[in-house]
Amino acid sequence: MNTLHIAKKEIVSALRNKSTFLFMLAFPIALMLILGLALSNAFSGSIEIGDIKMAYKIDRASPALTAGWENFVKAAEESGVAVEPLPPGADGKQAVTEAQYAAFADVSDQGIAYYDNSRSTVESNILQGMLTSFADRYNLEAAFASAGASSQAGSGGQAPAQLVKATSLTADSQPNSMDYYAVAMTTMIALYAALNAASLIESERTRHTIVRLSAAPVSKAEIFAGKVLGSTFINAIFIVAVMLISHFAFGANWGDHPAHVLLVLVTEVLMSIGFGLAAGMIFRGKSSHSFLLIFIQIASFVGGAYFPVNDFGGFIGTVSYYSPLRWNNSGVIETVFSGDTAPALWAASYNLAGAVVLLAVCMFLIRRRETI
Amino acid sequence: MNIIEIGGLTKKFGDFAAVDNMSLTLKEGEIFGFLGANGAGKSTTISMIASLLRPTKGEIRFLGKNIAKHAHFAKMNIGIVPQDLAIYEDMTAFENVRFFAGLYGFRGNELKARVEEALSFVGLGDKHKELPKNFSGGMKRRLNIACAIAHRPKLIIMDEPTVGIDPHSRNYILQSVKELNRMGCTILYTSHYMEEVEEICTRIAIVDHGKIIADGTKEQLKAIITDSKEIWIDVKSVEGLNQDRLKDIRGVLSVRIEEQRIKIQSRAEIANLNDIVQQLIRDGMEIRAVEEQAPNLETVFLTLTGRNLRD
Repeated sequence: MNTLHIAKKEIVSALRNKSTFLFMLAFPIALMLILGLALSNAFSGSIEIGDIKMAYKIDRASPALTAGWENFVKAAEESGVAVEPLPPGADGKQAVTEAQYAAFADVSDQGIAYYDNSRSTVESNILQGMLTSFADRYNLEAAFASAGASSQAGSGGQAPAQLVKATSLTADSQPNSMDYYAVAMTTMIALYAALNAASLIESERTRHTIVRLSAAPVSKAEIFAGKVLGSTFINAIFIVAVMLISHFAFGANWGDHPAHVLLVLVTEVLMSIGFGLAAGMIFRGKSSHSFLLIFIQIASFVGGAYFPVNDFGGFIGTVSYYSPLRWNNSGVIETVFSGDTAPALWAASYNLAGAVVLLAVCMFLIRRRETI
Repeated sequence: MNIIEIGGLTKKFGDFAAVDNMSLTLKEGEIFGFLGANGAGKSTTISMIASLLRPTKGEIRFLGKNIAKHAHFAKMNIGIVPQDLAIYEDMTAFENVRFFAGLYGFRGNELKARVEEALSFVGLGDKHKELPKNFSGGMKRRLNIACAIAHRPKLIIMDEPTVGIDPHSRNYILQSVKELNRMGCTILYTSHYMEEVEEICTRIAIVDHGKIIADGTKEQLKAIITDSKEIWIDVKSVEGLNQDRLKDIRGVLSVRIEEQRIKIQSRAEIANLNDIVQQLIRDGMEIRAVEEQAPNLETVFLTLTGRNLRD
């Protein structure tokens, strides 16, 4: 009960703080509007098909599969997609990681193992769609063949070209600038929760109220849990508000799985609060705020808050994978625009793991102190 | 019955002993004055009684129970008025008291009644909807007290509750302390203002270097100082006064200056008033009044610790 009592007080205090509204609501909405309008041309959704390269390896395949695959390769090349056999001795996965190819397909009678590079989301989606269509078509033909029907009917040279057409890659499945910045700004303010969290415990110290809290029959764990709960709740409220405003005012698309999207964002808030609390306890005072501001700005920059970072390679590309914004943006965008909830669940899992570790560190530090 | 029994209490910060093997008892119904200069160990002792710090050694018993083992029981029955204001400026007076009283498990109508009672007691009943940022220093101090008494503790620890406030508010707080005591609360009171301690405390302990160096009623403490007297001499201006020459006069123990008043502590059995007055005249002092004081708490404190309480 004391946890809820403390959480309630945190919520009331946050709602009375005008700067909280300014920072958590006005700031992301304004930035979303400015970036969304200013950079709308960068999100036209078109891509040069000729740029897409996929490597493949085919072995232990039946003659029918080999023939079907060759037809697929030919038709794909006619559409401007280069599908090349993997050079002897090369490692397909490594080649994709190094961005030599957008994807690698390992084809055998057991199926197609497909590896893509998440830095090339659009190219990967196209290739994945083409391969899915190929697999469907090939299975259909095999079924016809086993049923004694003519395997030539409706197939041959025509079919692979239709395969490409069969995959729907409409503009709606890609985020426009407002969609992108709605997600990016929301994940960014979730990260900013760390800034307030840094002073959750330390502010009690500066206001001397820590004396009363510590003298009351309340455990350190209850105080800590109340603070985290209240802060998570209030940040979640602001995030839902930003989502609703971006949707109804700017038409941002939040997809068909809002619960999954919210799960990603709330777990990101929890992780950020853990991070902020830990920073507040380790650095204390204003230096924790400076540290967090620098960290959040760098994480936002390399994590795609101000522009998409999918195409980045090299050092920044590598660093971006360590930004919480990167995996949260990807998790939300892929869930919203592909309809697949797995990326959201992965992102939420990373967040939760981070939150557990960081909150455990905070509890350890608190237990070592005589007063919270 | 003893409400607090402290035995062999020690608190060390590194090699420094802030409290050094202290033993003390507080009886139920007392207003107990805790006197000591800055750094004497008062706040550290208070913090250990309020379970804010863990003793390095020794034991504190509250109503016969070891507070280390019965922390919840002790905390439920102790209220603390910290020296620094410990209130939320963004919450109304009512919300402040309600939040802190709520930590003691009170809810609903009972909580509301206790909050209203505490605010009325400190004279803020009609200000319950106002934010403390609009309060005067004295009102904030009173709110600070209300936050500590809403759960009706048996022992209230007041650490310098009148620092920096106007005489009217100070008087109000001192009357409140007496009233709380009449209602059955035991008070542990620290202050730099000797006259406050003399006015309200029934028993006093003097703390120095982490130890209790004297403990008793005002009369018992004053009786310690039978061999000294204090002479107050009011002058027009202390400019040109040579304190060293005054200290050289036979029997003079110490000399202090407070604005236009020279306070001289001297051995009681030596008649040196003439020598003192002549020395002041030689220094060009224009004497306006001379008064010989019986020993007071300040004299006692100075004699025992060798320093002024406000040092």
